[in-house]
Amino acid sequence: MRPLRFALAQGLLLNDALAALRAIALDVSRVTPGGRRLVVDGGGNVEFVLARPSDIATYVERGAADLGIVGKDVLMESGARVLELVDLHFGACRFVVAAPRGALERSLDEYRHLGSLEVATKYPRVAEAHFRARGLEVEIVKVAGSAEVAPQVGLADWIVDLVATGGTLRANDLAIVEEIAACSARLIANPASYHYRRAEIAPLVEKLAEWASSTQR
Amino acid sequence: MESASQRPLLSPPRGFRDVLPTEARELRVIEQTLTGTFAASGYMPLEPPMIEYSAAQPAPERLIQFLDTDGSLVALRPDLTTAVARLVAQRYRETAGALRLSYFARVFREQPAMTATEREVVQAGVELIGASGPIADAEVLALLVESLERSGLRLDGSTIHVGHVGVVRRLFAPLDEEPRSEVLGALRAGDLVGALRRAREAGMAREDTARAQAALGVVGRGVEQLEGGDVEELRHVVHLARERWPGSVEVWGLPNIGLVPALPYYTGIVFEALHPAVGVIASGGRYDLLIGTYGAPRPATGFAIDVLRLHRALFAEGWRPATASPLVTLRPGDDERVTMRCAACLRAAGLSVAIGDVAETAGIALVAAAVVDERRVKLGDGRTLDAITLARELAT
Repeated sequence: MRPLRFALAQGLLLNDALAALRAIALDVSRVTPGGRRLVVDGGGNVEFVLARPSDIATYVERGAADLGIVGKDVLMESGARVLELVDLHFGACRFVVAAPRGALERSLDEYRHLGSLEVATKYPRVAEAHFRARGLEVEIVKVAGSAEVAPQVGLADWIVDLVATGGTLRANDLAIVEEIAACSARLIANPASYHYRRAEIAPLVEKLAEWASSTQR
Repeated sequence: MESASQRPLLSPPRGFRDVLPTEARELRVIEQTLTGTFAASGYMPLEPPMIEYSAAQPAPERLIQFLDTDGSLVALRPDLTTAVARLVAQRYRETAGALRLSYFARVFREQPAMTATEREVVQAGVELIGASGPIADAEVLALLVESLERSGLRLDGSTIHVGHVGVVRRLFAPLDEEPRSEVLGALRAGDLVGALRRAREAGMAREDTARAQAALGVVGRGVEQLEGGDVEELRHVVHLARERWPGSVEVWGLPNIGLVPALPYYTGIVFEALHPAVGVIASGGRYDLLIGTYGAPRPATGFAIDVLRLHRALFAEGWRPATASPLVTLRPGDDERVTMRCAACLRAAGLSVAIGDVAETAGIALVAAAVVDERRVKLGDGRTLDAITLARELAT
């Protein structure tokens, strides 16, 4: 059988993920952030594969990787069928609905009048699920980046975005209307791998869970 | 523009594919093995229709649907269990005894585009309806393992996992019904983190939550440390099933408390067959409440094998179907009547014969022969044999 494959998200989470893996005594020395080698040996029948965050869920869902570390935000948007085993607590951020500061009343008036609001977002799936659950009628406008400028330029009334500190919202004169979900990094597993290769996976899960709870104290 | 629109469409729609002769022949071998195995345990074949009313299906998001000419919304069947449940509630409403039903059928499921997922799946399975208790659960579990092994799958100790939805439900017994069903919903979706968080939020004590979390990680011998009638039942069923089908591995059937299937209708023992190369090959379990939703409550258990995945797993292991006898390709002689009589004679001797050449062999070995007279052919090596001798030779 091939080595246990661990998919790691390149980008903001990578350093924290590597620190977590180092803490549970996995050999991540060959993983070089920004390097060209994307599949690297981790020793002890483990290998790491580096990929874009949104692809991690796909890798793990399809069994191309057995385990992965990826943000809950990515999982919510992808809808991938994977097991979420441990909340690793780093990479904390929130999905929020935001509107131009002081314009909330006006947009709600508009909603009553026109019956619908336009919402710009990079996360159409999360946005749609949220507003459906709230029973609000909205039109989603998918953008590839910088949803926060959408209200300023008249592209949409509100936005759904991921915020860590809220600095970007403030800089664009937006205020949070409501929070959709708090997100942080998750240890995920392919369901079949998790059951079939439990003997190899369980010790890693246990150690990462212990490490994660120790970072909370 | 016009030439582009007139170019014929050669590929089927996404998620559907042509099964070519080599694979089709292998699938037939698997089909015969599976249907034969089901029949040998008393399961009677059943063929529900390809199309059902959408309104009668439990999970609308995975349906491939269209409007019937009378305006009703219909769907290609997404599984057979639901169809069998509907049919039993209609046709066997007054039947008291156990029904053993089996099927080998195509099912259809909507899938997002660009995910390389199939929308057409072949399922082989059984439903044991009206019987409850460990013997019924063990019968179905053992029959699954027998079916897989008879098909040629090599089992190991981690292939078959057996869980119990009742055990999981009991772990969250301190919760009220509503938060508990939310917790179970999260577990069915694979979200262990969310399930435990919801349990804590709903007021479950820290030590109870910790105990549930630990139990959800228990596999194998670890279950001996757990208590409860349902845990006993789980162990008992696995032991009984091994008696029914000892199998080629010493110990098959790994108790696994964390095995929580995505489908909501399971109520008791659940199980899955896993393969390292293709994932879940088969799944099943007890679903005592499903038939009741059609108005005729009845205990039931069953399983479904994903035949195409089973085939891929077998292929990954280098399995080939038991060799079919070679095909004789008969080069016609000058006299067409003699050629036809010669072909008839070879077939009467038990040989497979094609007249002329064969472009698609589907992996079957060919033996070229030329017509000599009504009962004799000349082989490529120069020998002339009569039909009986040739048949005897090719049989060895």
